[in-house]
Amino acid sequence: MDAFSLLATGLATVLQPGHFMMIVIGLAIGVVAGALPGISFVNAMAMALPFTYMMSPLDSMSFLGGIYAGGVFGGSISAILINIPGTPASLPACWDGYPMTKQGKSGRALTIAIAASATGGIVSALLLTFGAPPFAKFALQFDQPEFFAATFLGLVSIIAVAKSAPWVSFLSLFIGLAIGTVGVDPLYGVPRLTFGATNAQSGINFVVVMIGLFALGEVVEMLAKSEAATKVMGKIRFERPKFSEMWALRWSVMRGTAIGSVIGMIPGAGATVGAVIAYGIEKQASPRGAEFGTGVPDGLTAPEAAKNATTGAAMIPLLTLGIPGSAATAIMMAALVLKGVTPGPMLFSTQTDLVYAIFASMLLANIFMIAAGVVIARGFSHFMKVPPAILSGFIVVLSVLGAYGVRNNIFDVYVCMVFGVIGYLMKRYNFPAAPLILGVILGPLAERYFLTSLANYDDNMLIFIQRPISASILGMSVAFIAWAALPGLIKKYRQRKAALQS
Amino acid sequence: MKSISSIAKNTLVGAAIAGSLFGAVQAQEKFPSRPIEIIVTFGPGGGADAMGRKMSQLLEPVLKVPLPVSNIAGASGNAGLTKLTTNPADGYTVATMIALSVSSWAAGLGTAKPDDFSVVAVTQNSPSMLFVPMDSPLKTFKDLLNHAKANPGALKVATSGYGTQDDITLMYFTSQGYKMTNVPFAKPAERYSSPLGKHTDAIYEEPGDVAQFITGKQLRPLVVFDDERHASFPDVPSSKELGFNISDLPNFRTIAVPAKTPKDRVDALAAAVNTVMDSAEWKKFCAETYTCVTKRYTPAEGGAYVKAFYVTTQNYLKSMKK
Repeated sequence: MDAFSLLATGLATVLQPGHFMMIVIGLAIGVVAGALPGISFVNAMAMALPFTYMMSPLDSMSFLGGIYAGGVFGGSISAILINIPGTPASLPACWDGYPMTKQGKSGRALTIAIAASATGGIVSALLLTFGAPPFAKFALQFDQPEFFAATFLGLVSIIAVAKSAPWVSFLSLFIGLAIGTVGVDPLYGVPRLTFGATNAQSGINFVVVMIGLFALGEVVEMLAKSEAATKVMGKIRFERPKFSEMWALRWSVMRGTAIGSVIGMIPGAGATVGAVIAYGIEKQASPRGAEFGTGVPDGLTAPEAAKNATTGAAMIPLLTLGIPGSAATAIMMAALVLKGVTPGPMLFSTQTDLVYAIFASMLLANIFMIAAGVVIARGFSHFMKVPPAILSGFIVVLSVLGAYGVRNNIFDVYVCMVFGVIGYLMKRYNFPAAPLILGVILGPLAERYFLTSLANYDDNMLIFIQRPISASILGMSVAFIAWAALPGLIKKYRQRKAALQS
Repeated sequence: MKSISSIAKNTLVGAAIAGSLFGAVQAQEKFPSRPIEIIVTFGPGGGADAMGRKMSQLLEPVLKVPLPVSNIAGASGNAGLTKLTTNPADGYTVATMIALSVSSWAAGLGTAKPDDFSVVAVTQNSPSMLFVPMDSPLKTFKDLLNHAKANPGALKVATSGYGTQDDITLMYFTSQGYKMTNVPFAKPAERYSSPLGKHTDAIYEEPGDVAQFITGKQLRPLVVFDDERHASFPDVPSSKELGFNISDLPNFRTIAVPAKTPKDRVDALAAAVNTVMDSAEWKKFCAETYTCVTKRYTPAEGGAYVKAFYVTTQNYLKSMKK
């Protein structure tokens, strides 16, 4: 049977009410959990795992897949409406999504986000269905130097985020990198910067930092200004997007989807890295790149498409090779293994029906995400009308829960509180927080990939430019820096020339 | 106002007394009478997680209380073990304690020592093996050794880090004249994709953690680091029969409680875990993960086993530093 008829059979199976319900419930849980500041889709999937013990392998994958797809999108709802990313992957949605809200275009921003996320998700689910084995082969050609290059590109993307002072942004980035080194080092098992605290050996998790900086920091700011969130948002109307308007964003969606699909397959990277890189590249590629950060639809579209495109792509190595590259896919793997189903190439030949039913459920999850997204985003926008004091209390509780839920460790809650204070101060003094969080997320990845590359290639520093793929990605990073630095340098050069002449 | 606050105070005092009385009653109650938390000291999806969750599922009908699992990952499992030792030692919190964490103490990580814990049971055990990609030109362990001898350091082996059992084993082979390069990968997913993508030549791992690649015919086992062959891999030679003495670094997993836990509760838990381990469902699970333990360790034997392993690793690490 060819892939089409197998998929049709899979769809027929998944569309049976019993199975279909699992997708819908999963989606609803996912979007709500994603949108709640503090609670991420990984939290939600981990909490849902015990409920899958009683389900069939297909139902547990549909359920977890629904939470995954819905949760990766859901984070953007709170990012766009109140400038608090519900999950780390929605951080870029704050940069151009929230400015749109401030201009009274929140309905439009949400519509764009939903459409772009769903498109990215659907394309990657199709990629999973029709191209999984060859793409898995392609992904295996990537090695640590390529992963390092991709992470480096992510770090360079902070140029895209830096609005005014690049040096302050870099300072913030380096503070983030330093925070990322706290804990047991990945290769030697030696504790670093722990100051003798046993708890600090587990490291400082980026989700905890993000909740502190963005959720708690924002709440204090909100209370300090004592300004209702609705005042900022104005009235939310869900405009049915004009086709021409969406069509104009097609290139942004395509670029985002392509980046997300590739990044999603890299073990360790995932939705956040995909979204950040997509934002950085979009800033260079889009004709309106210079206006990014002021509420440009392109700047919202690309990372939204990218982060949902990572979902299907991340499942390719899981299902074809048995490699869970991210926390979310590791939970899916746990659900399968507990049922005696072993993901990997054998799964395709021994349980073809199950594999295609999983593909079908991912496809459906991404299509129905549009409906779930609209309904829940609407619900949330009503919710934002509550007075700031109550809304803030609610967010603080969720933040504490979320910080605890990352590793079930109370120490993380204290760390989160400390970053809440830091986040407020940073906001007060206009010190950019986004580069810091990127440093905490990407630093440990970059370090790991860099050191393992050297170990694998006889400590040859040149390996990064000797391998063609990693060399091209690094070349792109250099072009980024040049692109950003050149105008300033040229201006300086002209000024100096003018000064010399006079 | 005064009267209200005094009433509140009285109520509080009353509640405190009632609470302590209740506690006293509870102490004489049958164990267990409320849910037992299972701390899995690693994130979801790994071998320790599978063990904890399977135990949780199968222990519930035996102990007749729910056993919720919480993953407390970090610092080679030490974050979860810290939580275990700071919780009351009443048998209502148990944790997975595995070889990797014990060897990390020997390497100087954390503050825990084997004496801080009582071992309820040694639930899983497996020797490590060396695997190569299925289409590797190295077909046997002899091939691999010859290659390593002819090209010192050219052979790249994917491992979990420096100073681990993996590293100790490779160091041992270096000392025997077979130099291989340790390529450490902190994350399992990254470690597994590397040999599959032919970026490294071999991988050191316990078979259960790469079961999907063994059944998928992507990885070929070359040698098992043990005295005897593994029952599931009768064609794979053991390191001992090839003349190498590196059989004392098994990957065991245990269920542990704080050392101060009352003995009768440890015994009650041990009896329940043994019942589970004798069940058909557990036997199927451990066979699938190549981790079946035939011997039933008593808590005292289990503790001695863990301690012996700790001393062995400590000695290896000391001799490596010289």
